Amino acid sequence: MNNKDIHITDDTFLAKWLANEITDEQLKKKVSEKDFIAYKKLQKGITLYENLETIDETSYAELKAKLPKENKAKIRNLYYKWAISVAAVALLFITATTTLFSDNTVSNAADYGKNKQVALLDGSEVILNAKSEIRYQKEHWATHREVFLKGEGFFKVKKGSTFTVQTKNGSVTVLGTQFTVKSISDYFEVICYTGKVKVKSNHKEYILNPTEGFRKINGNPLEKIHENISKPHWLFNESSYKSVPLKYVLKDIENQFDVVFNTDKINTNVLFTGSFSHKNKEIAFQTIFKAMELDYKTTNTKQIVLSNKK
Amino acid sequence: MLENIKNVCDEVVFKKLYLNYAKELKQFLYFKFGNITIAEDLIQDAYISLWKNCEKIPVGKAKNYLYTLVNNAFINIKKHEQIKYRHQERVKKNNSQLSYESPEFILQEKEFYIKLKNAINGLKDNQKEVFLLSRIEKFTYKKIAEKLDVSVKVVEKRMHNALVILREKIGDI
Repeated sequence: MNNKDIHITDDTFLAKWLANEITDEQLKKKVSEKDFIAYKKLQKGITLYENLETIDETSYAELKAKLPKENKAKIRNLYYKWAISVAAVALLFITATTTLFSDNTVSNAADYGKNKQVALLDGSEVILNAKSEIRYQKEHWATHREVFLKGEGFFKVKKGSTFTVQTKNGSVTVLGTQFTVKSISDYFEVICYTGKVKVKSNHKEYILNPTEGFRKINGNPLEKIHENISKPHWLFNESSYKSVPLKYVLKDIENQFDVVFNTDKINTNVLFTGSFSHKNKEIAFQTIFKAMELDYKTTNTKQIVLSNKK
Repeated sequence: MLENIKNVCDEVVFKKLYLNYAKELKQFLYFKFGNITIAEDLIQDAYISLWKNCEKIPVGKAKNYLYTLVNNAFINIKKHEQIKYRHQERVKKNNSQLSYESPEFILQEKEFYIKLKNAINGLKDNQKEVFLLSRIEKFTYKKIAEKLDVSVKVVEKRMHNALVILREKIGDI
């Protein structure tokens, strides 16, 4: 019996479990198998309940941030005109409509440490990795499927008109297929999982077939990569890298765990090969930094300073 | 007279329309798609559209407008997607929620949800209070204890008991 069991009293352990202070394994020791299954189902139900019942100031603030700003000025005019005449109101409607419809953009972004699924209007889907963002126009979507991506996304495109992903580093065009695109600062990578993908970068075009990938990191020559798995690791809370400069791995860690690194004392161009899980920050740090022979120290400004092991 | 001039472009009015209807719209959408992310995206799109067209929509018709929008979005997606659960890839890992469940499964989920919701509403006042402060307001047990002026142990006990009761109410699988 380990020390932790002594502190789990019989009348509070469920509360601690629901708040993730004790694990499923520890709960299993306190209740019958039938009860454990029921509590897991209850936990799922409560999560859904939280999702569906939370409409409040916070979610409103999120919505408000996405509203176009032009409307405010129009309200005062509108009230005034209504008081004057119907003809004036009709005229205002027409002008208002044309300006309002000029902005049909939808944007979606994933938060720190979380993936986000986005359903597009034709049934295509994008799953965004942490801190990634897409933007697209709603109008004419069926015939003009174009998405602007910043960060990394796994795309499942339904067969249809040409679907294009635009990034700062290049573009990707498909008809119907599954692929990932990663565009973060000067790192550009595309991996094709099914179907055929056309990549445009630096005025050159490349066709990718399933398991083929393409990577271009700023100045460096283009690399062809081979990926045997059917879906990217980060869909399953894991990051995996093969010979990638450390600076990009650090950026990923920052996005997954919401931390900031100070790399003044180390060489971030060193190549990294390895994987880490997104579930536990400490374990991830130990895995990566041990392999790279780096020490890490948290300062009081919450930055983590990296240095070479002596 | 001023009542007639109240319109959707007024942010106070718009916010009220959100706080009043977004919840039922979200539930409506969730139980149509079985997917929370799509529901959230469509709700946002619908309200953004409402805001953009605010001059044309009287307050009394706003609810109808929102429902029409989300319904049309659902039909459109269905048309392009042909949602049949057998043809969808079910991603079993916990992070990906995307699985278009069968209508039967969604109905079962809905019944379970209603059962759970009623059970939560039926909790004793002090248990319900702790439950909602923890799960909806997202306060830690420590913060709840401060708020209610009791010890953390008391908060945890109430939560624990609430969960025992909820487990009894939902029954066995």
